[in-house]
Amino acid sequence: MAGRRLIVVCLSASLTAWLIVGLAGCSRPKAGAPGAVGGASKAGATIRQTGSTTLLPLAEKWRQAFDAQHPEVNIAVSGGGSGTGIKALIAGTAEIADSSREIKPEETQQAQAAGVKPLEHLVAYDGIAVIVHPSNPLKEISFQTLSDIFTGKIRKWDAAGAKGLGEMQLVSRDSASGTYEAFKDMVVTLDGKDKSRDYAASSLKQSSNQAVLNLVAQTKSAIGYVGLGYLNSSVKVLAVVPLQGGAAVQPTAEKVLNHTYPISRKLYCYTNGEPSGALKDYLDWIKGPEGQDLVKKLGFVPLP
Amino acid sequence: MRRGRHPAWEFVIEWAIRMAGFLAIVFVLLIFAFLLRDSLPIFRLRSLGQLVVGRIWSPTAEPPQFGFLPLLLGSFYVTLGALVIAVPLGLACAIFIAEVAPARIREILKPTVELLSAVPSVVFGFIGLLLIGPWLATRLHLPIGQFAALGSLLLAFMAIPTIVSVSEDALRAVPRVLRDNSLALGATQWQTICRVTVPAARSGIIAGVLLGFGRAIGETMTVLMVTGNAAVIPRGLLGFLRPVRTMTATIAAEMGETAYHTPHYFALFAIGLLLFLITFLVTVAADLVMRRSAWARR
Repeated sequence: MAGRRLIVVCLSASLTAWLIVGLAGCSRPKAGAPGAVGGASKAGATIRQTGSTTLLPLAEKWRQAFDAQHPEVNIAVSGGGSGTGIKALIAGTAEIADSSREIKPEETQQAQAAGVKPLEHLVAYDGIAVIVHPSNPLKEISFQTLSDIFTGKIRKWDAAGAKGLGEMQLVSRDSASGTYEAFKDMVVTLDGKDKSRDYAASSLKQSSNQAVLNLVAQTKSAIGYVGLGYLNSSVKVLAVVPLQGGAAVQPTAEKVLNHTYPISRKLYCYTNGEPSGALKDYLDWIKGPEGQDLVKKLGFVPLP
Repeated sequence: MRRGRHPAWEFVIEWAIRMAGFLAIVFVLLIFAFLLRDSLPIFRLRSLGQLVVGRIWSPTAEPPQFGFLPLLLGSFYVTLGALVIAVPLGLACAIFIAEVAPARIREILKPTVELLSAVPSVVFGFIGLLLIGPWLATRLHLPIGQFAALGSLLLAFMAIPTIVSVSEDALRAVPRVLRDNSLALGATQWQTICRVTVPAARSGIIAGVLLGFGRAIGETMTVLMVTGNAAVIPRGLLGFLRPVRTMTATIAAEMGETAYHTPHYFALFAIGLLLFLITFLVTVAADLVMRRSAWARR
């Protein structure tokens, strides 16, 4: 008797659970409808912002500050890499895709196929800094050497001018990252001149800027790259000599804006079509003085 | 209290339970079918040989390279390393719990080992990444604190509860008669364990090891965090102390940004299919081994 009752209880519980899940699924509004968030009302609007981990600390600060002024708007910020963010925008699971690279043609095609029109909003400028362990004697590096290092053509620190460090440990991001793509386009393929060049197989792929920073900070023979906003005293930054020659340039905000730092890039937020309502307010605020003030505070380069 | 039958009610219950059983099989078949469907296109672009023994995994290169060998070897290095640690420890623990420990200690030890399996894998990864890895790297003079053996160590913690659990059950299932006879003939307890009990429980122990293997090879989060994710082919014993990339970490890291229905997408599904087949075969083998032991005892 007790056994049968147990079976009945378990079956009814699981049946009920399935029913609830099914009903909940039916009542959700159609995903991907443009302007569904920003459109009608401002009160209780939800903005899901996801994508680039480079933009993540900035997005978090934006969210906090905007939320303080507009508590009726719910903003949810997450990372996952630029590629993931754009995918979410196309799938309709995010309203803003943070990206540290431009949208790729294949992604635009997929968006069109899904009825999504990605609109690009330039929100900040950024530099990608080359970092090494603080005990590394190097101070600067040439563009060509840097590219050769990350393609695996130069493996030992002796060949790059730093004695006694042995074999180089390349710390990179993984392929979901916009920083990975940007560094590849600018440095690895020598500014797109040689597209057959690729990251060395021995490069360690990390999942975020912070992970790269941590690994380089604890590994004497490491060399890696991070967004400007992540730099701190736990690593040493190398100045980069541009491909065309000249003096080595430190990655600073000023050098990024006037394009003298050779590894500079733009940071974007993509939306589905023209934003309206709360979404428009948020994006205008980001591009406005308060949002840009935060950009500067976090070590990125604000829009001029 | 109800007496007599209620045929309609009984029929419904029976039917519902049968459905639940079939559903389990259906889920596995569906998973296999979806994996197959979304990985078949890659076989039109690359031959099986090019994929499975291809030495370069670089899907973002031009032209894209989809060699599984570094990933396959990475997974095997990490998993086999984990078993090398987990099997002796797990078996010893199982023997202790089943044969040697007094009842009070057994009551504490068994749930504690099971507690180990309750720790989320990401916590293991976290500890490995920030504490154990750097510490080991300085002590063993390794170039970097993310390497295969670190993954093996952490995976061993995850495989041990499985091995202990199944082996201990197998040891307990050995009939008392065998033990008593051995002791009666003058063997010591250790001789009995070594030469009578463990060999008798051999099938169950092997099954436990195979299940531990299945657990380890499918683990994603931990290896993603601590093995370095460098798709190089590990060489010899030194390969354990260098970064590798496992199949699971590759899928987890790259699936997020891969565009739908591109060769990269299909290749990742092919890796998933390979992983599924390996785990499936190992689980079936474990089941057969256990079944054989039960049959032999009849």
